[in-house]
Amino acid sequence: MSKVYVVGVGMSNVGRFYERSLRDLAAEALFKAIDDSGNLTPEYVVVSNMLSSQAEQENLASLIADYCGLRGSSGFKVEAACGSGGAAVLVGYSLVASGLAKVVAVVGVEKLSERTTPEVARGLAYAADADFELPYGISFSGLNALVMRYYMMKYNVKREEMSAWPVLMHENGYYNPYAHLRMRITVDDVIKSPVIADPIRLLDSCPISDGAAAVILTSEELARKYNDTPVLIAGIGNALDSTDISSRYELDTFLASKLSAERAFKLAKLSPKDVDVAELHDAYSINGVVTLEDVGFAPKGMGAKLVAEGRFRIGDKPVINPSGGLKSRGHPVGATGVYQVCEVVMQLRGDFPGVKVGGEVGLTQNIGGVGSNITTIILRR
Amino acid sequence: MWRLKDILLNLVGTKCLNCGHVFYPPKAACPKCSSRNVKKVSLGTSGKVITYTVVNVPIEGFESMSPLIIALVDTGGGKVLTQLTNVKPDEVYVGMEVEATVRRSATTLDGYVPYIIKFKPKERYS
Ligand SMILES: [Zn+2]
Repeated sequence: MSKVYVVGVGMSNVGRFYERSLRDLAAEALFKAIDDSGNLTPEYVVVSNMLSSQAEQENLASLIADYCGLRGSSGFKVEAACGSGGAAVLVGYSLVASGLAKVVAVVGVEKLSERTTPEVARGLAYAADADFELPYGISFSGLNALVMRYYMMKYNVKREEMSAWPVLMHENGYYNPYAHLRMRITVDDVIKSPVIADPIRLLDSCPISDGAAAVILTSEELARKYNDTPVLIAGIGNALDSTDISSRYELDTFLASKLSAERAFKLAKLSPKDVDVAELHDAYSINGVVTLEDVGFAPKGMGAKLVAEGRFRIGDKPVINPSGGLKSRGHPVGATGVYQVCEVVMQLRGDFPGVKVGGEVGLTQNIGGVGSNITTIILRR
Repeated sequence: MWRLKDILLNLVGTKCLNCGHVFYPPKAACPKCSSRNVKKVSLGTSGKVITYTVVNVPIEGFESMSPLIIALVDTGGGKVLTQLTNVKPDEVYVGMEVEATVRRSATTLDGYVPYIIKFKPKERYS
């Protein structure tokens, strides 16, 4: 298997862009990534997206490749709900590692600002079980709320302790020029914000954003030739759990978070204590806290308490979500996993334009569904 | 929805005949041991609330039923995601005893009105 390097990254701002199209956002990210790579030409364009069908557009690889002057290249879309981005990077990695391609572009894109909140909420709920959960009208927030109440009761976690997560995210995201929500918040703001799905409040929830991010992946040979700062994909792993939450063995653990992280660490021959910087998938405060534990950065039941005690901010090891995470950077659904890789690559290269961590080893974890399809990636300078 | 009426109206789960694991919703093989030697089993009609939420921001199609009380109920046989009815949001608690009842759900986007099992507080006859 050939080693695989990230040699180019590109991101659009994250936000609500009523005047911009899906193809326009994708082109901005892809062109930035190609330019950043030293102008490598992708043989494959692998696109990640979850909900473009709501805008009546599928067949995204053809659309984006052709719009960006890459007619005749190869490609397709990868879908794994909110975890599409990480899964698409895994597919791109496989293409290079197998030798089938030398240069692969992975482009994550989502454009939802023209849709109403109930429409988007229904679309996101399609990541749950359509036959056995959707008929009850459960939203994605509602499913995560079931996990949050269970977790807080089991480990006796106070509302104030859970609130430390979004406060830290906004503290970091405030400095990220790409972030969707750049404002500082307090624990009091979180506790007084409206209830979306009890106990999840508005300030526990990420915004649903538009945005596009792209990475250029290549083999060792080309990476050294065209680029001074290649970042190695040292490990990568994906794992599945049930789409439904009824049949889960444990409600306070994401099995797929644990398994995908174990697979990625094994391939990289590294462990959680080696990680300097990580971007975790905090669609809700509870997801950030639970995966902090399942990846191996905190003991079970201690995630929220440790964040409230001041852990995981700049100066600590690891630093978690210097981008601001989904909570502040935003959640351009199918693009989020690609944003995470761009951000950690920039951290390791030293050119991330927000909170700077540096370090040698980084990790990303991207979640689809309520922990049902998870990809973990380990990056090394 | 029509093809699901027996399952959604009778609370049918799956039991693995190899390792004994019982789970809901039904699956073609056991998640624990991968055995395909499974059979449909009735999960019972009462149980206890393990965790719950009150959904204030509804998904498309459920606007008129908001706020929805959604709970995970342990029937003893398996855990079931369901809606609670005949109860106010602030009356629900973890550990509450509930029993199954048939109610209508929201009209689907293609115009079908499904009837599904919801749970209501267990009536006490003293
Ligand atoms: Zn079994």
